[in-house]
Amino acid sequence: MAGLVPRVRYLANLCSPARGPATGWPHVRSLGSEIFVCTGGRLVYVYNREGALLTAAYEFPAQVWHLELLDRRGALLVLCAGRGLYCLWLDRVSRQASQDAGDSASELPLIPVEPAACILPDTALCTFTALEDVLVTLARSPARWKMQLFEAPTPGKDPGLEAPIGEVELSTCTPLAKEPGGPPFLPVLCCTSLPGSRVPHSFVLEEGLFGLLFGADAALLQSPMILCGLPDGQLCSVLLKALVTSRWAPTDPQALIKILHHLEEPTIFIGALRTEPGAKDMPDMPCDCLVALGHHGRMVAIKAGRDEAGSLVPELREYCLPGPVHCAACGGNGHLYHSTPSGLCMVGLAPEDTLWEAEQPSRGPPSLPPTLCPASLRVCSLAAFCVSPQIPEGDTELLALSTKGHLMICSLVLSPETPHHTQAVTASVGHKIKELLSGIGTMSERVSSLKKAVDQRNQALKCLNEAMNVSCALLSSKEGPRPISCTTSTAWSRLQQRDVFTATCVLENHSAFSLGRGWALCIQVGPSAGAWELDTGVTAVTYTVPVDQLEPGGRREVTLPLAPGEDNTLGLPLTVACALFYSLREVVGGALAPSDPFREPCVGACLPSVLPKQEGICLPLSEHTVDLLQGLRFPGLAMLPASLLSPAPDPVDNLLGEHVEGGTSLRPASLRARYLPPSLAAIRVSAELLRTALQDGHSGLSLCSATLQWLLAENTAVDLVKAQALSSIQGVAPDGTDVHLTILQVAVTDLCPAGPLQTVEIQVESSSLASMCGAHHAIVRRMQAMVVALATQGGSSPPDLRLQYLHQMQANHEALLREVQALRDRLCTEDEAGSRATAERLLQLYSQLRSPSLLLL
Amino acid sequence: MTQQCPLGLSAPPANCLDLWREKNDQLVRQTKVAQDLGLSLRRKRLAQDALEGFRGLLHNLQGLPATVSVLHLELTIICNFITLRTSLAQGFIEDQAQEIQQVLERVLKTREQLQPGMKYRHKELWNSVFGVSILLPELLPALHHLAGLQAAHWLSTDRLGNLTVLLKTLIGSQSGASEDLLLLLKTWNPPAEESGAPLTLQDARGLRDVLLTAFAYRQGLQELMAGSLPRALSNLHEAALGLCPRPVLVQVYTILGTCLRKMGSPQRALLYLVAALKEGSAWGPPLLEASRVYRQLGNTAAELESLELLVEALSIPHSSRTHQLLIEVELLLPSPDPASPLHCGTQSQAKYLLASRCLQTGRAEDAAEHYLDLLALLLDSSESKFSPPPAPPGPCMPEVFLEAAAALIQADRAHDALTVCEELLGRTSSLLPRMPWLWTDVKKGTKESPHCPLWVSATHLLLGQAWVQMGAHKDAISEFSRCLEFLFRTTPKDNGQGPTSHCEREHTSEVTLQQLRAVALVCRGLEWAASGQNTRALQDFLLSVQVCPGNQDASIHLLQTLRRLNRRDEATVLWQKLEAQTELPQENAAWSPPLYLEICLSWIHPSDREALLEEFRTTLQEPCDL
Repeated sequence: MAGLVPRVRYLANLCSPARGPATGWPHVRSLGSEIFVCTGGRLVYVYNREGALLTAAYEFPAQVWHLELLDRRGALLVLCAGRGLYCLWLDRVSRQASQDAGDSASELPLIPVEPAACILPDTALCTFTALEDVLVTLARSPARWKMQLFEAPTPGKDPGLEAPIGEVELSTCTPLAKEPGGPPFLPVLCCTSLPGSRVPHSFVLEEGLFGLLFGADAALLQSPMILCGLPDGQLCSVLLKALVTSRWAPTDPQALIKILHHLEEPTIFIGALRTEPGAKDMPDMPCDCLVALGHHGRMVAIKAGRDEAGSLVPELREYCLPGPVHCAACGGNGHLYHSTPSGLCMVGLAPEDTLWEAEQPSRGPPSLPPTLCPASLRVCSLAAFCVSPQIPEGDTELLALSTKGHLMICSLVLSPETPHHTQAVTASVGHKIKELLSGIGTMSERVSSLKKAVDQRNQALKCLNEAMNVSCALLSSKEGPRPISCTTSTAWSRLQQRDVFTATCVLENHSAFSLGRGWALCIQVGPSAGAWELDTGVTAVTYTVPVDQLEPGGRREVTLPLAPGEDNTLGLPLTVACALFYSLREVVGGALAPSDPFREPCVGACLPSVLPKQEGICLPLSEHTVDLLQGLRFPGLAMLPASLLSPAPDPVDNLLGEHVEGGTSLRPASLRARYLPPSLAAIRVSAELLRTALQDGHSGLSLCSATLQWLLAENTAVDLVKAQALSSIQGVAPDGTDVHLTILQVAVTDLCPAGPLQTVEIQVESSSLASMCGAHHAIVRRMQAMVVALATQGGSSPPDLRLQYLHQMQANHEALLREVQALRDRLCTEDEAGSRATAERLLQLYSQLRSPSLLLL
Repeated sequence: MTQQCPLGLSAPPANCLDLWREKNDQLVRQTKVAQDLGLSLRRKRLAQDALEGFRGLLHNLQGLPATVSVLHLELTIICNFITLRTSLAQGFIEDQAQEIQQVLERVLKTREQLQPGMKYRHKELWNSVFGVSILLPELLPALHHLAGLQAAHWLSTDRLGNLTVLLKTLIGSQSGASEDLLLLLKTWNPPAEESGAPLTLQDARGLRDVLLTAFAYRQGLQELMAGSLPRALSNLHEAALGLCPRPVLVQVYTILGTCLRKMGSPQRALLYLVAALKEGSAWGPPLLEASRVYRQLGNTAAELESLELLVEALSIPHSSRTHQLLIEVELLLPSPDPASPLHCGTQSQAKYLLASRCLQTGRAEDAAEHYLDLLALLLDSSESKFSPPPAPPGPCMPEVFLEAAAALIQADRAHDALTVCEELLGRTSSLLPRMPWLWTDVKKGTKESPHCPLWVSATHLLLGQAWVQMGAHKDAISEFSRCLEFLFRTTPKDNGQGPTSHCEREHTSEVTLQQLRAVALVCRGLEWAASGQNTRALQDFLLSVQVCPGNQDASIHLLQTLRRLNRRDEATVLWQKLEAQTELPQENAAWSPPLYLEICLSWIHPSDREALLEEFRTTLQEPCDL
């Protein structure tokens, strides 16, 4: 292949364009010495090559989707998104602003385009093509594409277009969805004709190929054909002469439209090439190869060939070019230029461009090459370009708009030997270096993005491996201390002028692996599974805290408030469950996402299908129950700071208290305390049992104070209790009611035949029934745990008991329980008055159940 | 302006509603002004602006909670919006179903009849809306109007089942009522709006009348196509009696004409067609129908005259009428397909009809002129005057050329025929198979034959006949030979590749191929005979009888040659065969040849066939009697 040497000359700097629904569709067209450029927004710039300056900028009312020039009539036709077709008569408008011109877009005065210039208001128009005398438009209705034929506007007449002189509907297999930001791809329209017919704005196809593609009728009628490439990839042709219709002679789409091919990706470009060299004396040879190019680089080329018998047969080949393709154009010598994000490329379909010719038998005309080799032209990525018509033989000149917004001329000179010495080249050396640098820039950008993707994948794999190790370590260690543990403790602290009951979870990593990205500590705070949950409207709340890199031996502490209820009341007991969660999405998702810097949308849609259904791995660590005993505060213990001793007074209560006369502003709780007898419960445990359970760590203390310490072991006040060796304590529950714990030694006489039994009685007294119950429940829970622990140790045998007494007690309890059950059933069915009496009786029963004081031996 | 009106704070909501209602009235007036502007951009722009105005108002109202006073205005505006949008787009847009559904759900919300989770189907929604609308008498007129628009949409998309259910709901009759839609439409009496109501573009009663006419028209046309003529007739009468704009009346009269022609009353049909012609400017369909009636009556002169008028009528550029900005009858009619009696094609298609009818009825000079006009029309390359070629039921382009050449030969214009044939070959030369074996590879023997379209052979046949007419025997014989060369390489099933024409495959039947071969052989034989080479002639005639045994003309030519060569025995056998054949019913009765082939077949038809046969009978039987 003869090396094409690009020479780039910058003309002007326009604002940066981009392709896509949000930013528009850049275009470059040339007419005489003027270049019309649209960068994708609402502006169309005019650049004069002779004067080397920008002469005008027209401001259209909406984003410009397409523009065409009618050179004989001197009109600029512009399609505005959602508005319709506008027509500017160049001789009229170009004069008015030619004086104040500059070479930069910012200095240029904008010429607003009047609404009166709209010649076809149609919000559904997507593209059009102009054939000097007629216009063909393509509009989308919800389910179909509608092609319409209009007479082109003429300068003297009424500015609007007449009614269409023909129309036909193209069916499409995919329904057209409505996108909010406009369609992601626009259809492509162009026109082709036979050599003799001299149709302007169309490319001329050789008769054989024309007849083969469009049929004998089209060839006989010598009708121009409209070629249409739809965003779904369908390529079809419409016989222009048959498009003329009337109310009484609607077109039959089946007779009119011929589907040529299906690219299966949005069509970006349709054009034609001359691949076989023509005779020297015939410069304007018709094209012998039709090409269409899709967005992702799929290209189809169609040529007419002859089979062995001499009949015409179509020769069709599909190729894959590097994509995504922004724009493309056909040049001379069988070259197709197309621009991708990494730069401008060229492929040659002429036989001399390809090496395969030797293996092909020389019989018959050369056909299409089996593969194409795209060659980079070392020109930066282009947003739009067109092939300049007036250029010397052999060379190609592209009028281009780079993706950075530079309007420039790329001259592609065929002679590879001379470029270094010519004067013209030295003049543009600076530009060339710039271009080279920009080429290097885009290449390095591409390399770095690829590298980034690879790194991301490696990282993800590493993370997955670590996660596997951690999971195995955690799941295999059923016995003994776990390699990764989480402990929970509670405390009162002051936050934002309020006392808050908080839980602190400490995550410790004793394993050999570190917890990296993707791991999170999930803490679920919810009502514990007990009888208590009946009246608490508390639902579980989950806190997720990412674990940022926890090395082996490291620890992480998380403190969170334990007031999940809406009214900020603490529904004790609570369960604090900790678990480790590993998010697959976070780790793998980023690595799987394809990265195309030019087209972001439609990427997100494919991701969830790649990931497994499960979003991650969950490893439970620990579960901790927070009960009332842990939530008690002890204002009577002087060493605590004052603020922590009693709940801070509610400002509203303060206000109320000041304004109510006579100091009668008592809170409901204190009212209750004054007028209702305090609730009381007691539990008796045999002293021996307790002594065995508490033998370690509590030596040298009386059994009573040791018991109290044991009960309050998880409370922050335990040190004070220990210091003062208390056996009775006055505390405040989280809801502000007082709770009195008293521990005495009592001898029980009538139970054991051997004599009085030494027991410890734990009394709970509170003005609030709820607090008393909470405390009682917490104590019982501890006792249960203790008994279970002792039973597993296989401790001392229980003393001799008077069984009858026990039987009596059990029978009493059973009778009471039966009554409770009956009353509760009644409570569901009774009316309000009745239910109040029942409730009172229930309360009595409950206190009876408690008061005979359970005895644990 | 409307958006800035604060709701419920500084101004009471009633004021806001009044403002919006004022805006609605103003938009309706603006649309009516636009209507009178005729076909112009300004009209279109005004109407578009009004449409946007209605859309904006609708958005405002939909933001308010659904109350009766809001809904009254909202229903009116949505009716105006749909009417104007449909009229501007000249058809119903699918997504308006959603808009209607939305407003109906809002109506139900006022009565708290809408279960939030439930998804209503359209039909059921209407049913429940009219179920509660008794409780909302203020909304009834507007609801009926909206129902009318829904009915129009369903009618235009042929969802007649839905339409019946809706109409029954509207009338309030239950299951016992008649299923006859026409009757239901007549019974439906939409309540009138009270005088102070917001303005509408079209009132519900007017819409009902439009629906009635459109339904009768559609039903009549459908029944006509299905062949139940009396029912079609009664429906069409109904349509003609209703509120009918002139262009629609012309159509109804034309279809009535078709219906009566098919029922066998051509005179009554003509009366309707004359009435249609008097009614308006759309002369095409009635003229075409008139030509069919005359053809049925056997009045060729009148038939051709109507066709000539048709061509003229279609040459007048299509002037599009300004549509009213309302739901009109035309909007609800089906678009005519090629099978419809209203399909009259374009000027070139009518011209083709005229030319071919002239050729078929033996008016060769006229036919030739018309064909030349037609070709000029079709091949005129000035862009703005495109003329579409005959559509698929008609011939493909090469066949039009062939018919033109045949007509020219019939009209004794052999020179012109030559020109037409050369033009055809010239324009398609690049598509024709290159035949290397003709000049290079003859010796090599069997080679796969290229596909060659049938019309290429036929062109050579016509060329030969033109040379015959000009007395150039050598040229004629060489054209016939070339024709035969192609014909024997064409296989009818070879329908794979190559540039084909849209209707070619249907005509490349075995029979057509056989007949063409027979004609070509007989023509060449006749030329040999004329130049005195009787043995060669005999060979061709023999072959022609072999390739197409059913063609009696070929047999007669063979018989004559045999007699001329004094081969009496063979002649007797052949004659006996021929006699036996004439007694048998004719084969291929179902096959109708392409028109050009029909003309070619007429060339080999001996004019004095019966006399010849009689002569044979006497001369051949004499020796046997002796």
